Amino acid sequence: MIKQLIGFCIVIFGVLLLTFLLIHLVPGDPVEVMLGESASSADREVLRAELGLNQPIIYQFGHYLNKLAHADFGLSIHTQTPIIELIKTRYPATLKLAFVSLLIGLSIGVPMGIYAALKASKWQDLIVTLVSVRLSAMPAFWLGPMLMLIFAVWLGWLPVSGMESNTSIILPALTLGLGLSAILTRMTRTSLLEVLSDDYIRTARAKGLTESNVIIHHALRAALLPIITIVGLQMGSLLAGTVITETIFSWDGIGRLLVESIEKRDYPVTQACVLLVALSYVVVNLLTDMLYRLADPRVKFSH
Amino acid sequence: MKIFNVFTTFSLIVLSLTTTSCHQQVEKPLNREIVFAMGQAPLNLDPRYATDAASERINRLIYQSLVDFDAQSKPNPSLATWRAISPTEYRFSLNQVPSTFHYPTALISSRLNANDVKATYDSFASLKDSPHAAEFDNIENIIVSDDRTLLFQLKKPDKHFPAKLIIGILPAALIAKNHDFSHSPVGSGPLKLLSWQNQLKLVRVSDGQTISLQEVKDPTVRVLKLLHGEVDVLQGELPPELVKYLQTKADILVKTNSGANFSYLGLNMQDPILKNLKVRQAIAHAIDRDAIIQKVMVSNTRVASAILPPEHYTNQQALPAYAYQPALARKLLLEAGIKLPLKLVYKTSTDAQRVRFATIMQAKMLPAGIQLEIRSLDWGTFFEEVKQGNFQLYGLTWVGIKTPEIYSKAFGSNSIPPNGFNRGRYADLELDQLLLDENWQAVTTRIHNQLPYIPLWYEGQFVAMRKGIHNFSPKPDGNWDDLATISRYAH
Repeated sequence: MIKQLIGFCIVIFGVLLLTFLLIHLVPGDPVEVMLGESASSADREVLRAELGLNQPIIYQFGHYLNKLAHADFGLSIHTQTPIIELIKTRYPATLKLAFVSLLIGLSIGVPMGIYAALKASKWQDLIVTLVSVRLSAMPAFWLGPMLMLIFAVWLGWLPVSGMESNTSIILPALTLGLGLSAILTRMTRTSLLEVLSDDYIRTARAKGLTESNVIIHHALRAALLPIITIVGLQMGSLLAGTVITETIFSWDGIGRLLVESIEKRDYPVTQACVLLVALSYVVVNLLTDMLYRLADPRVKFSH
Repeated sequence: MKIFNVFTTFSLIVLSLTTTSCHQQVEKPLNREIVFAMGQAPLNLDPRYATDAASERINRLIYQSLVDFDAQSKPNPSLATWRAISPTEYRFSLNQVPSTFHYPTALISSRLNANDVKATYDSFASLKDSPHAAEFDNIENIIVSDDRTLLFQLKKPDKHFPAKLIIGILPAALIAKNHDFSHSPVGSGPLKLLSWQNQLKLVRVSDGQTISLQEVKDPTVRVLKLLHGEVDVLQGELPPELVKYLQTKADILVKTNSGANFSYLGLNMQDPILKNLKVRQAIAHAIDRDAIIQKVMVSNTRVASAILPPEHYTNQQALPAYAYQPALARKLLLEAGIKLPLKLVYKTSTDAQRVRFATIMQAKMLPAGIQLEIRSLDWGTFFEEVKQGNFQLYGLTWVGIKTPEIYSKAFGSNSIPPNGFNRGRYADLELDQLLLDENWQAVTTRIHNQLPYIPLWYEGQFVAMRKGIHNFSPKPDGNWDDLATISRYAH
């Protein structure tokens, strides 16, 4: 665990250093973004000095780390909003969308995968496979508007987009969750089929345990490891913000903020978002490792 | 037969009553919130900082400025009239009917006076990070004579000075307190801020009508929201096929108008090939503007021949547009000693409509012997490349240009970046002299002949709204001024 925490710190420091350097290497600087093209060279120099951009880069990095240590991410160049405020409003929206999507993905994907594994090579398995292949092949920029057209415009059940009502989350979460469920269906099916042919499952059946008991208490637990891996990876990318879905559904999440800040060259916001995304990935990976240990105690011994 | 007549009469009475009642309903405005969808939310509602189109359009409604422009883009009195006392002195007199600042709490109110104007323009001197500060560097002093009169003293003469005073006036008391106008604007315009969380909510001061402005980036989603009734109005930023689709919908009213925003191809005048005038003329004759306008643009789009549209006060004589003549273009290239095909790189943003224009131009230029390579870059990278001069050809649009000073900023040899917008690095002594003389007709003609820009079109403006929404029309520069009058009637 200590090793992992050290790794965690190294990754975060690496991300900080890389984003800081990359942003200083791309053409243009914050002063140009702030003052535009009509400012005089003298005005630019004054502002550059005021922002400390004429200092040596190592000094600037130290200053940046010092500010971060005090949870000061600075101000957005364009909106003059404290970045911490932007994150406070945007990240919970991403978290909410990620968890609801994951819930949809798990509640559809895992039962479908179990069903397909139990009906392996039968017509039911074929249908589940077909549906999951179709779902995983549907990109969000197509599936999202289709869901809007059906559930909002034609049926009038849900709002097209936005975050105003409690039901606003359903369509974006479905767009993400359906894609995730397709992956989970395939993974659960494959994993379960592998386990079901193991000797200890045959032994459990021979001991007279009911089929549901065998599946739930013996097979599924063993088949869980690859599913946890996939869920961890997917959760990481969901928390990093799903730019297309957030954009289509006007969902004010972190992914949209990141892309907008890159487009507008709002460097401090980009830095803060990249740091947050990296943190999310690292934390989710740590949690996935912990879940491994809960699901399979052998993982603990191997460490 | 008698029964039939009675039935017909009854039906007619019912129909006429229904129509009358509908008509009566139409007469009565409803105060329900009006939702306006926009492709890009405003970034900053402090007029001293705002540069993006959405912020400037909203700021026009929240604040009032000293000066505005008429239909010919001549500076026009808004909050004040003015008189030039000397080449370096302008006296401004505020209107007799005083304007009032609209504070969020109704308990506080204050009248806009000359001290507020002075405080607003004085504040630029201390704002080191304002993109507009350079515009007001020339102000030496502002003297307040009384509540309604003030004198601007300039460092050097500037005939166009009044046209620069279009910044919204802020209350002096709040400027002194370093109030955050970017998120809590306080102005004297027809609308005032109600709240700004996920969407911007404004309220009309005169009748309490709430107007909500929602950012919906995806054009298809904007259309779906309009059809579903979640949005009442949307303006511009839609591909023409979606506009045509909306025109077929019974619940939707689409209005169009001529545009004044100038789209052009920028050329790098330091490029060894593009330095040659014949090559530039060949490119101008290799673009089929009429076909592009007809096939992939909204109605009311006009072919352009200069940055400022024909109705602008400086355009006394209309200039002819460059016609699509691929054979002539080919001939000009051969005369310039170019080995065909001429390979050129065209940079544009990733915007789908811009890429579409580029693709059509690419196909239409082939018969003229020009092979266009399209490079579409994300907006930030693209704009940075343009500013750095890393291009042969690029496509952009000037939005909301009113004053002829644009010619000096875009083509003057002393406006080459980082000192201005002369991104093509065009240097022409003859043009510099004409710019100094402010002989705008000659300037326009010289630019038209020398082609540092290749003019394309003024894109038509349109608005799509649900039936029942009234008093909103698209404006040539795409402003949203009609939000001050928009209303909803029972439909």
